[in-house]
Amino acid sequence: MSALPEFENHDQQTVKTTTCYMCACRCGIKVTLEGNEIRFIQGNPKHPVNKGVLCAKGNAGIMKQKSPAKLTQPLVRKPGTERGAGEFEPISWDKALELLTERLRRIRETDPKRLAFFTGRDQMQALTGFWASQFGTINWAAHGGFCSVNMAAGGLYMTGQSFWEFGDPDWDHAKYFMLWGVAEDHASNPIKIGLEKLKRRGAKFVAINPVRTGYQAIADEWIGIRPGTDGLLALSFAHVLLKNEQFDWDFLTRYTNSTQLVINAPGTSKDGLLLRDEEGELLIWDQATDSTASWNDSAHNDDIEAALFGDFEVDGVNVKTVMTLLAEKYLSDEYAPEAVAGTVGIDAATIERLALEMAHVAFKETITIDTPWTDWTGRKHDKFIGRPVAMHAMRGISAHSNGFQTCRSIHLLQIMLGAVDCPGSHLAKPPFPKHIAPPIKPAKAMAPNTPLASPPLGFPMGPEDLVVDDNGEPLRIDKAYSWEAPIAAHGMMHMVINNAVKGDPYPIDTLILFMANMAWNSSMNTAEIQDMLREKDEHGDYKLPFIVTSDAFHSEMVNFSDLVLPDTTFLERFDTISMLDRPISEPHAACDSIRQPVIEIDRDVRAWQEVLVDIGSRLKFPALTKPDGSAKFSDYKDFITNFEKAPGIGFLAGWRGENGDEHMVGAPNQDQWQAYMDNDCFFEHKLPPEQHYYRFANKDYLEWAKSVGFNGHSGPIVMELYSEVLQKFRLAGQGLYDGPLPTHDEDKERLVKYFDPLPDWYVPLEEQRVDNDKYGFHAINQRPMFMYHSWDSQNAWLRQIMAQNYLYMNRERGEQMGIPDLSWVWVESHHGKIRCQLKLMEGCNPDTVWTWNAIGKQSGAWGLSKDAPESQKGFLVNHLISELLPPKEGERGLTNSDPVTGQAAWYDLKVNVYLAAPGETGTYPEFDTIKRLPGMKASAETLTYHTHTPINLERSMEDALKRGHLNSGDKR
Amino acid sequence: MHPAISVIFFTVTAGAGYGLLFILAFANLANLSGSISPDQITSMGIVGLVLVTAGLISSTFHLANPKNAWRSFTRFKTSWLSREAVFAVLFYPVSIIWLAFEFFTGNSTTTAFFAVLMAVMALVILVCTAMIYASLKTIRQWHTPLTPVNYVLLGLLVGALILAVMFAQQGLDVGRLLGLASVILVVAALVKIVYYYWIGQPAGPSINTALGFTRATVKLLDVGHASDTFHTKEFGFQVARAKLIWLRFISIGLAFVLPIVLVTGLLGNVGLGTLVLAAISAYAGVFVERWLFFAEARHVVNLYHGARRT
Amino acid sequence: MKLGLVIDLDTCVGCHACAVACKQWNTSGTTGPLTDYDPYGEQPSGVWFNRIRHYEVDEYPNNKTVNAPMSCMHCDDAACVTVCPTGASYKREEDGIVLVDQSKCMGCNLCAWACPYGARELDEDQGVMKKCTLCVDRIYDENLPKEERKPVCVMTCPTSARFFGDFDDPNSQVSTLVRERSGYSMMPEVGYNPVNKYLPPRQRPPAPTVEKKEGGSSASLIGKWMKRQKDAFNDLGKGAR
Ligand SMILES: Nc1nc2c(c(=O)[nH]1)N[C@H]1C(S)=C(S)[C@@H](COP(=O)(O)OP(=O)(O)OC[C@H]3O[C@@H](n4cnc5c(=O)[nH]c(N)nc54)[C@H](O)[C@@H]3O)O[C@H]1N2
Ligand SMILES: Nc1nc2c(c(=O)[nH]1)N[C@H]1C(S)=C(S)[C@@H](COP(=O)(O)OP(=O)(O)OC[C@H]3O[C@@H](n4cnc5c(=O)[nH]c(N)nc54)[C@H](O)[C@@H]3O)O[C@H]1N2
Ligand code: SF4
Ligand code: SF4
Ligand code: SF4
Ligand code: SF4
Ligand code: SF4
Ligand SMILES: [Mo]
Repeated sequence: MSALPEFENHDQQTVKTTTCYMCACRCGIKVTLEGNEIRFIQGNPKHPVNKGVLCAKGNAGIMKQKSPAKLTQPLVRKPGTERGAGEFEPISWDKALELLTERLRRIRETDPKRLAFFTGRDQMQALTGFWASQFGTINWAAHGGFCSVNMAAGGLYMTGQSFWEFGDPDWDHAKYFMLWGVAEDHASNPIKIGLEKLKRRGAKFVAINPVRTGYQAIADEWIGIRPGTDGLLALSFAHVLLKNEQFDWDFLTRYTNSTQLVINAPGTSKDGLLLRDEEGELLIWDQATDSTASWNDSAHNDDIEAALFGDFEVDGVNVKTVMTLLAEKYLSDEYAPEAVAGTVGIDAATIERLALEMAHVAFKETITIDTPWTDWTGRKHDKFIGRPVAMHAMRGISAHSNGFQTCRSIHLLQIMLGAVDCPGSHLAKPPFPKHIAPPIKPAKAMAPNTPLASPPLGFPMGPEDLVVDDNGEPLRIDKAYSWEAPIAAHGMMHMVINNAVKGDPYPIDTLILFMANMAWNSSMNTAEIQDMLREKDEHGDYKLPFIVTSDAFHSEMVNFSDLVLPDTTFLERFDTISMLDRPISEPHAACDSIRQPVIEIDRDVRAWQEVLVDIGSRLKFPALTKPDGSAKFSDYKDFITNFEKAPGIGFLAGWRGENGDEHMVGAPNQDQWQAYMDNDCFFEHKLPPEQHYYRFANKDYLEWAKSVGFNGHSGPIVMELYSEVLQKFRLAGQGLYDGPLPTHDEDKERLVKYFDPLPDWYVPLEEQRVDNDKYGFHAINQRPMFMYHSWDSQNAWLRQIMAQNYLYMNRERGEQMGIPDLSWVWVESHHGKIRCQLKLMEGCNPDTVWTWNAIGKQSGAWGLSKDAPESQKGFLVNHLISELLPPKEGERGLTNSDPVTGQAAWYDLKVNVYLAAPGETGTYPEFDTIKRLPGMKASAETLTYHTHTPINLERSMEDALKRGHLNSGDKR
Repeated sequence: MHPAISVIFFTVTAGAGYGLLFILAFANLANLSGSISPDQITSMGIVGLVLVTAGLISSTFHLANPKNAWRSFTRFKTSWLSREAVFAVLFYPVSIIWLAFEFFTGNSTTTAFFAVLMAVMALVILVCTAMIYASLKTIRQWHTPLTPVNYVLLGLLVGALILAVMFAQQGLDVGRLLGLASVILVVAALVKIVYYYWIGQPAGPSINTALGFTRATVKLLDVGHASDTFHTKEFGFQVARAKLIWLRFISIGLAFVLPIVLVTGLLGNVGLGTLVLAAISAYAGVFVERWLFFAEARHVVNLYHGARRT
Repeated sequence: MKLGLVIDLDTCVGCHACAVACKQWNTSGTTGPLTDYDPYGEQPSGVWFNRIRHYEVDEYPNNKTVNAPMSCMHCDDAACVTVCPTGASYKREEDGIVLVDQSKCMGCNLCAWACPYGARELDEDQGVMKKCTLCVDRIYDENLPKEERKPVCVMTCPTSARFFGDFDDPNSQVSTLVRERSGYSMMPEVGYNPVNKYLPPRQRPPAPTVEKKEGGSSASLIGKWMKRQKDAFNDLGKGAR
């Protein structure tokens, strides 16, 4: 009766594929266009990352493109006005780039480290890092230091693969999945796709998290842990496994350093190091001969029988196997479930049960995949054996100052269960796994007009690799790789502004920020950071003389810049998501992808990629300049096509070779971009089945990984349960190391305390120092699934879901404290206080308060009206978090970070919460309203977005008149 | 439910108009006040029609798209609103014919026929209006036979009192009319009291059945929208309990108690002034009653916004 | 045919993707635009066909968080249709989809009052009632690739918590899921017979554990393991385990 609706006219539509960048997950999208307007953005079903699905942010791409906060033209701070006052005037691109190039040229000619170039939650570190190296400054890093370097370092120094974006649980085979401290993570869609697979198969999903929302909502079991104690829980699991003799003897013997021998010689420089022979070969104890043998030989030779346990004398030196030390440590009563229950807030029986459940799945529900494979020694195996226990962990672990060791403790569990890169466990994504640790040392030396000899970031293997001067003082502006944070493998971006303004270790000239909102949500102590950005010396000059920001939107940081270089949106530019960077690989496929412009630019903006290549060419970076001094590459696309990092290896791995028929390695192909565009903007090299698992020891994989440049050699990746690297630092702390030694007492103490070569747990640093009776609550935050950091409050659709964040507290706890739902409260830390509105809930650990991250905004930013809830009622916890630890007598200010990796300790925060006085409402602190930028239009008051006249659904008049009830006859 | 003034004004005023016309016809046919002249009937009838018309016009203010209002005649088969609309429109010719016959021919069989037809239609319309609300299973405070009873009684009540004012002003005998009014007042008051008692009893869906989790407490954690939506504005209306009770007393006092006291002469002579006061009081009381009718109605969608019960 | 959705509360993580996808598709769809009011101001709000709410069942520490997406249930006994005076609201006979003909609606809100599920929203700017169309402009559009002829909310859901199909067909995926997973209706007592069904969170049986062992001190355990490795070695003559 009612006819089909008329359908929209597809003839006037075009469809283009590209890669989403509403967050760093980088899903493949299909964009339907009508003219230059976006009709629809959908997931690309063929894409390896998202397989057709799209998250809330991705679905809101239209409104990102329509944001009133888009920057429209380059801007300079008006001469004579104060920084942060928001007075800007337009400047042409030509002049802007000239001005910047001149400034940079001077710096590069004299003292390159006076340029600091830091990038936030970006995905083009391969390019920015390359640029910084060519410039010659070691003061470069990306967000990793304030994000999750604990996970990267924890994994890379222990298993050679890691959580974060670098690995995935084996969603297709895992029977038991334990999720530690994850709200959303980068694999936003993949985790959701995976959880569904798991649940549909009936696998058990255990979520360890102080808060029960999001992923934890659908967990079969929720463990509402007290923040900062996961390491202890993991080690207690290890205790139970050992007590019940549940560990994978073969796996430990073959693939880890558990049979290697640790020297027991307290007070000497050899203490705790691994026993080696003259050639430097690592040794084990051979039971067949009752003498030492090389680990390498024992792996190849079946006649050598390495002891997993034992205590031996070698040339008068007492040695123990790593496994013996490990068992001694974790079998101790301090890790017994009864002993840790109070601290972690979980009863002992539950702890024991969970460990025994995992053991059951690992050892009694073992799975096999009948694919023959060859291990690195050449032994053939007829199948892959899987211990189907998978784990994933992220910032609930990493954002604590014990996160590195906690991450290692979780890896310890995986290794004990034999559940690493085997079917059903946690799988590495190419180019991982890597050797421990990846053989790149952080650059130290700089010279005018000279590129760095190695990349600014790398992996120290001992004190000699620190980036410190002869007196042991930091060389980098962020003090990464100093004694304060020796393994700061991703830099320490959160310290840059603080250090630069204090001139500690030295003042700088120019700070370039790309995609980082450092005046707001990515700084600790935000309000004071804004003051620091305005701070002047006795001559009235800014202590941080020049700030350049590349942003696409009117962020808080833009307001504090001297030069604003407006970027394009993700739908307007060419971009690469490279395997040299944080690739989009899947466990069984090496992948990379590109973005292509799908709509035309309607403003005077330029892609930062283009700008970097342009400035680099103007500055005559060797890699960008021909011998005759002219620019080597005409633009970014040309650079990507033709630049080779090593022969045959460039930013994009697909369709290389002159004819575009070589992959991974091959000569530049002039049609490479087109090849990507023709393939929906991604490239996927699927690994053959025999390379799917055990890649740390899989001969075919290791050889392939070497051949494509992922790894330097094809030897095995031996997991380091015991980290000699950490022990070297500890020896240095004890003053026993044969090499550089720390001079400050506080550094020595930290090296001794926190650099345990075996995974360890300690009370997070802030908690060690504050009055925990006063600051009784842990304060943490979570990522909302539908907002990306600070970017999405400008999105008209997403902010309708949430425009104000609340502080959540356990209901019963709140009632005990007489705090009613929705009351305004003061939240106080050792460092400062804020006022916000509170909500009570059930699913929250009683000692924890939490909120959604980065909903709070500065009034006037992001195209929002000055009375927007984001600024009037929303709040940031960042004001409460100090970038320095609570001070101690006689100690220099120490960073509020993990003492090993320098990872920002966002979630160590301890607070006290009390009711605000009646009438005290609205957020505190308040900020001035940011002025609208020149050229920015007023934001719309009503939106009626659509790309064509709606085609009405027509009900015939006849039907309307005739029909009796719902269905004309049959129903009633 | 959000108490929209346009709708309240409509139901009270048009309701009073229909009630007035009904009682007028009844009073005439039943000879309640002796003979009423055709002029008097016509003019009082016109007042009734004015009330009806004012109400109907007001009701269109409630429409977001009044240009399609004419289409509301199409779904007579299932929609009480459509029925109300159809009858409301048909009511005009019938009532005008009736008044024309009254005016030109005085009492006659035809006049009586149209008077009865008109009166029945007036009642039907009152019932239709009420059924718009009473038919909604989503609002238990409305979904009851008490709703049409109440609408009819209150329409008649206000209509009768306004008519009494006009009778008195025209020098007609109001005694029996006031007797009738008193009966309506008492019955209407009783019905309303029963209603308040009835809605006070917990019943109907709860947040548990709304979501299908019936074995434990269910609480809203996050409503998933940043500020008011169509639903929270339309259905989320809430008044403090104390204020509600207070308003109930005001409404009962104004709608029933004061008029009864006035028309039964408890406060002395029942003159024109007394009747005017009684009519105004009743109108105001019913206005408050109608406001409460909306304000106290709790739509089940509120359960999804966190209400435990409706 | 009786078309509708099944929503799996066991896998819905409450991400709002389906809600935004719906907004995105439909703002240029048959009943678009879906107006947004005060989009950058103090009270951002607008018209949505699908909203996600979050609940907590039971109390700490037995609490469970449940995310509940809700859109039109395309009820069998859709009073939203019967109350509509203009004939704008109708239920398609061939597939049961409940729709609003925008050109007929007078914006009286009555259908929204009649809907127990909050599925209808008045577009105040356009003066007409809007609601989920079950993506009728996709599911029958033969110019779309076959696998895309489904509601966008279903297509986009990252946890595949949404299923679309014909409830009249006992072998359809939706019918099977409802049968096997005890699919239920929300607020059945109101009597609308909603077509959309919800799958309750699953109760997983307790996971088995390995048998507990005696344990012992660390010295005794390590001693035992040393002996075991020696024994194994001796037993096999050369010690392959
Ligand atoms: N939608 C969306 N996605 C994002 C982002 C975003 O802003 N929005 N940001 C991206 C970025 S940069 C990052 S780094 C990732 C981060 O992704 P996640 O790791 O998911 O980050 P958080 O939201 O910080 O989540 C931390 C989780 O750990 C819990 N937690 C806090 N402390 C502890 C603890 O001590 N122990 C345990 N077990 N849990 C704890 C918190 O309750 C929270 O659920 O997400 C990325 N993805
Ligand atoms: N309290 C607290 N603070 C935290 C965290 C926490 O959990 N709690 N999490 C921390 C973590 S893990 C991270 S990674 C950081 C994130 O910190 P940031 O990376 O600083 O945060 P974003 O808000 O993502 O800011 C990035 C900037 O990039 C801009 N941008 C967006 N798209 C583009 C583009 O296409 N081009 C350019 N040039 N710019 C663009 C945005 O407008 C924004 O100003 O926050 C950290 N801060
Ligand atoms: S997870 Fe969402 S926002 Fe992030 S890339 Fe994928 S679709 Fe885009
Ligand atoms: S998209 Fe799926 S998981 Fe997300 S809220 Fe909707 S139904 Fe739930
Ligand atoms: S859910 Fe509401 S709008 Fe949809 S058919 Fe049922 S009653 Fe009508
Ligand atoms: S608002 Fe429109 S669709 Fe709803 S009942 Fe009124 S006329 Fe019908
Ligand atoms: S079926 Fe279509 S219209 Fe209905 S909720 Fe899903 S996306 Fe929206
Ligand atoms: Mo991050």
